[in-house]
Amino acid sequence: MDFELHYSEGQEEFRKEVWTWLEANVPRFDLSSDGAKQSMAARQGAADFRRKLGTKGWLAPNWPKEYGGGGLSLAETIVIDEELSQWDVASTGDLGLSLGAPAIMVWGTEEQKKRFLPPILKGEITTWQCFTEPEAGSDLASLKTRAEWNGSEYVINGQKIFIGSPFPPDYIYTLAVTDPEAPRHRNIGAFIIPAKSPGVTIQPLKLIAGGGRNTIFYDNVRVSPDQLIGGKTDGWRVAQSTLEVEHGGGGRVVARDQVVDDLLAYYKEAKRSGKPLSRDSHIKERLVDLYIQSEIGRLFGLRGYWMRATKTRLVGYEGSQNALHGKKYFVNLATILLEVLGPTALVDDPKWAPLKGNLEYYQRFAACQHQGGTPEIQKVIIARRMGVSRTRETAAAMV
Amino acid sequence: MDLSLNEMEQLVKNTARDFAERECPIEIVRGLDESESGFSPQIWQKMAEMGWAGMILPEKYGGSGASLTALGVLCEELGRAIVPSPLHSSSVLCGLAILEGGTDKQKETLLPAVAAGERILALAFTEAGYGWDAASVHMSATPRNSRFILNGTKVFVHDALVADQILCVARTSQSQNAEDGITLFLVDKQSPGVNCYSLPGFAGEKFCEVSFDKVEVPEANVVGEVGKGWAILQPVLEKGTVVLCAYMVGGCHRIWESTLEYCRTRVQFGVPIGNFQRVQDHVIDIVNALDAARWTTYEALWKIDNGKPEVSKAVSLAKAVTSEAYHQACNSSHEVHAGTGLSKEYHLYLYTKKARTFYHYLGSPSYHRQRLAELLEL
Repeated sequence: MDFELHYSEGQEEFRKEVWTWLEANVPRFDLSSDGAKQSMAARQGAADFRRKLGTKGWLAPNWPKEYGGGGLSLAETIVIDEELSQWDVASTGDLGLSLGAPAIMVWGTEEQKKRFLPPILKGEITTWQCFTEPEAGSDLASLKTRAEWNGSEYVINGQKIFIGSPFPPDYIYTLAVTDPEAPRHRNIGAFIIPAKSPGVTIQPLKLIAGGGRNTIFYDNVRVSPDQLIGGKTDGWRVAQSTLEVEHGGGGRVVARDQVVDDLLAYYKEAKRSGKPLSRDSHIKERLVDLYIQSEIGRLFGLRGYWMRATKTRLVGYEGSQNALHGKKYFVNLATILLEVLGPTALVDDPKWAPLKGNLEYYQRFAACQHQGGTPEIQKVIIARRMGVSRTRETAAAMV
Repeated sequence: MDLSLNEMEQLVKNTARDFAERECPIEIVRGLDESESGFSPQIWQKMAEMGWAGMILPEKYGGSGASLTALGVLCEELGRAIVPSPLHSSSVLCGLAILEGGTDKQKETLLPAVAAGERILALAFTEAGYGWDAASVHMSATPRNSRFILNGTKVFVHDALVADQILCVARTSQSQNAEDGITLFLVDKQSPGVNCYSLPGFAGEKFCEVSFDKVEVPEANVVGEVGKGWAILQPVLEKGTVVLCAYMVGGCHRIWESTLEYCRTRVQFGVPIGNFQRVQDHVIDIVNALDAARWTTYEALWKIDNGKPEVSKAVSLAKAVTSEAYHQACNSSHEVHAGTGLSKEYHLYLYTKKARTFYHYLGSPSYHRQRLAELLEL
């Protein structure tokens, strides 16, 4: 076994190149993890930066060049990820890249791959994943949005909610019922729709957290059949290729959760009631527990990354296990932040906010752990993949 | 990065699984659990013939110099089938202590016998105020002529019943620093004044009270320098802890498999109980515990084998997680199995006893969490 990534001399050279380039090109904006709080200038800066990264091929480093990727090795991809993580660019604002593109790669025709992937992977466009509906949250398959075939086009009507980002979309990746007579899961099609199509209306939502989500209305939106991804009723399976990634199947390589290390450092220095905070043994216990949970999360992420990179199949529940752990961890982290930082955990004013002053968003995002599937849905998937439960299933196709 | 087993480790895994199924099915484990010694000389003999007793000892002492990870893979399989043996006490804790601190003569006479499984050693560390740090060692050893006189009682000594010699950790001098003044003595169990009996109750090991009443130990049986035993023991305890974790990971794995199987076959309300999400939640708790234990354990093994920094942190992380994981897995499994889990004709209780016994062994979760706090300088 080897829990470490190794880099050749050439790759270390490449790291320097990446570092130098990032130093020159990373925008000096506060790209807060909370998209809703980013200024317009910051968003524009992020979009410009994404395009620059994409032009370098570093937005999707290990995807094939012919589809707009960088054609680089896994090791080089990790170098880029690692170097990017050193900069405060939490969001480049396009889920189309991480979620939409894998589905197109697995299910798209060659023509569709050539048409849609390069602009996504080069960071030229923003794609929104629009799945959730007012009446179809955890029960996504019960969605009502309808795509009717009129002989030459699909005509889409319906509403999606809690979707998108503050970055206006160029394309919309969405699901709609194509065959209302067909049984559940075999009645849906997956579409890529130009966001400027007549009949598409986007309305921002006012939410406490979630990164600038929106609701979207489809009113007789006409979509040509070459924008259907997969077969007419393959949509559920296409969506699974996306959800597999979204449900933690991608894994990630991170050294440690920086917030935990910052919090441990804060605990050693801070005072409470005139005494060192470090005399509080209750808080100490909770911090040790947080450390343990962060280490488990790191290892689950590493395992996921290794599985995806080497195409190793284990049992199949691992992605959702990783997601479930991460969600519970986040809520726990937010609680400990509240406890350790006191009321300053709620403050966004750099005068009083501790550490890097960007922690109050944890208090809001702790209420936001349903994104990409509730913890309960992750459990349902884990149970199915382990082979208990009424329904049995295996992991979806993933790139 | 490669999280798969290499060819050699995979071979060890397969061989160990076959061995356990063939030589030590659950009926045998159950029988041994009921027996007085809990020990099967035949199984131990066969394990030694497989080369397992000497697996991590160097070749020049009759071992095969395998990595700790390879031994972990073996122990995971032994733990999955709960094969009882003194391997951990004799080869890992005592064998490595002698390798680390012993004289050439001690190594030459003792280690080949340990590697062949012909001599069994047991580590006597804990005392009435149970603990695994240096400050918990109080038992005194006083020099007299060219001998030491040992007086005191060790308790919860694993494998003492079947051991030929006890590696006894005693204090030869008092000091401000609890780590100073600790000395390791190799004591023949037959020596006058040594008394050993196994403690009855719900323990998954025949752990013993071993009392020392004016026991004379020749100087030649001191392992390492007088007063400097902690430096020898500390890294050995860490290695032993992670190998124990691997054994516990195997136990968790078996509990997960059994619980899944039970969920699929046990029918209530007209359907397999696995259909109920409340029941599924228990299995999910088990698999989460299992995987947390597995990956923290294997990362610690990898760190030790490759001389990575922060080994102590990784060890305490693994033991805190794994002790709790095994305990959690058994408790959740009992909830799923209900009455069936209590039956002596079913295997769950054997694992539950192990989980309870190893919970504290080589340091409880609370001990290792405190150690983590110290290592994190909190």
